Amino acid sequence: MSQLWLGLRAIIIKDIVVELRARQVLPTMVVLGMLIVFILRMASEPGSTAIGGPVMGVAALWIAFLFSGLLAQERSFAAEQHNGCMDGLLLAPLDAGTIYLAKLLANVIMLAIFEAIVVPITLIAFNLHVAGGWPRLAAVLLLGNLGISSVGTLFSAAVQLTRTRGSLLSIVVLVILMPMMIPATFSLLVLFGAMPEEVGGSGTLAFVGSFKAAIGYMIAFDAIFVVASWLLFGVVVEE
Amino acid sequence: MRRLLFALAFILLIASTWIGLTQGQIVPVQRNILYAHVPNSVCALLCFVVLLLASIGTLISGRQAWDLVAVASAEAGFVFATILNATGMLFSRAEWNVWWTASPRLVTSAILWFLYAVYLILRASLPGSQRRRARICAVFGIIAFLDVPLVFISARFIPDIHRPNFSFDSHWQTMALMLGMAGTTLLAAALIWLRTSLLRDGVDLEKQLLQ
Repeated sequence: MSQLWLGLRAIIIKDIVVELRARQVLPTMVVLGMLIVFILRMASEPGSTAIGGPVMGVAALWIAFLFSGLLAQERSFAAEQHNGCMDGLLLAPLDAGTIYLAKLLANVIMLAIFEAIVVPITLIAFNLHVAGGWPRLAAVLLLGNLGISSVGTLFSAAVQLTRTRGSLLSIVVLVILMPMMIPATFSLLVLFGAMPEEVGGSGTLAFVGSFKAAIGYMIAFDAIFVVASWLLFGVVVEE
Repeated sequence: MRRLLFALAFILLIASTWIGLTQGQIVPVQRNILYAHVPNSVCALLCFVVLLLASIGTLISGRQAWDLVAVASAEAGFVFATILNATGMLFSRAEWNVWWTASPRLVTSAILWFLYAVYLILRASLPGSQRRRARICAVFGIIAFLDVPLVFISARFIPDIHRPNFSFDSHWQTMALMLGMAGTTLLAAALIWLRTSLLRDGVDLEKQLLQ
């Protein structure tokens, strides 16, 4: 246990120190996120479309998270390609799963910092009111963050040697995350007061049903993706 | 043997269409597309199960034969998923007057199609050794399969405009559907078999050229 903890801590601190010194990813992520939010904000000017602020705001938030998250995940293993760093990591007396967990946590921290900056900006831009309370908003965002980072971190290691790594990573991660975006959208719409807590009928969002069920689905997706990626990571990095 | 399988599949499919068009017609007319739509959806899902098993086989044994089965079933599954979505859209337009709507089953069928498409793109873009590519594709196949239960669940248990339990008026209709089901499943098996052996020939040829 202490071995696992030491390894985890060492890799996470290394990644964060590298980011603090080089400032390669986080500024790009934040600016990309803000650009996505503002471009969607321009498209949802009252009068030009009938779509309400909360719907566009939720769309902007998740699209910004997905694409900025992809930037962080792609960098997290691209940075290891120089000077044989990846071989060094794999030679360390650590389980491959531990390396995965450390990289995952580093990416979750990066995306959490990103969320702390971009969410308030989105709330202001779309004039959103958090009717469902801040703790619940934080919980939904963290669950989404964990899900996005889990799949992204696994496949980032897989696509490193390809010519088209960024675009390949984006389609692989987005297609796996598609089902998770249904409860994720639902829960944010509830929190911004655009939808009642329980929905009936026959649409995709009624499929989720209630806010509680949405949280349950997201926890289930996170658990499945994290455990499966943790188990399969060794297979992906093996030469 | 493989030719026999193809011949049998086509005979069954022609019989299914014949019965469906004569004795087993459903009113209104657009609902007859069910004879093509239902067997193709079942086979799209079956191919994913084969893809999962072949992926697990690749990871456990590391043998290339499993990997070839995985690609073959992904290719066949992509075709079936395309037909599933295309026939579904035609039906939807005739029955509900929209080409597509965001109902759970339609969304999950689209997700199934995307999963196959990304699998094939991922496979085509990975460089490096054959073993590494096989392993990464197997990992994607397994993680992608974790999304598929959603398709199963939504097709059965969730209220939707799309009805899974079609009530038939006559035995002819049940027979046409069952023949179609059997024919399409045989066709899927024959296609996977054919693609696997073609891919194996390609691998053998490459080996010979290298020598």
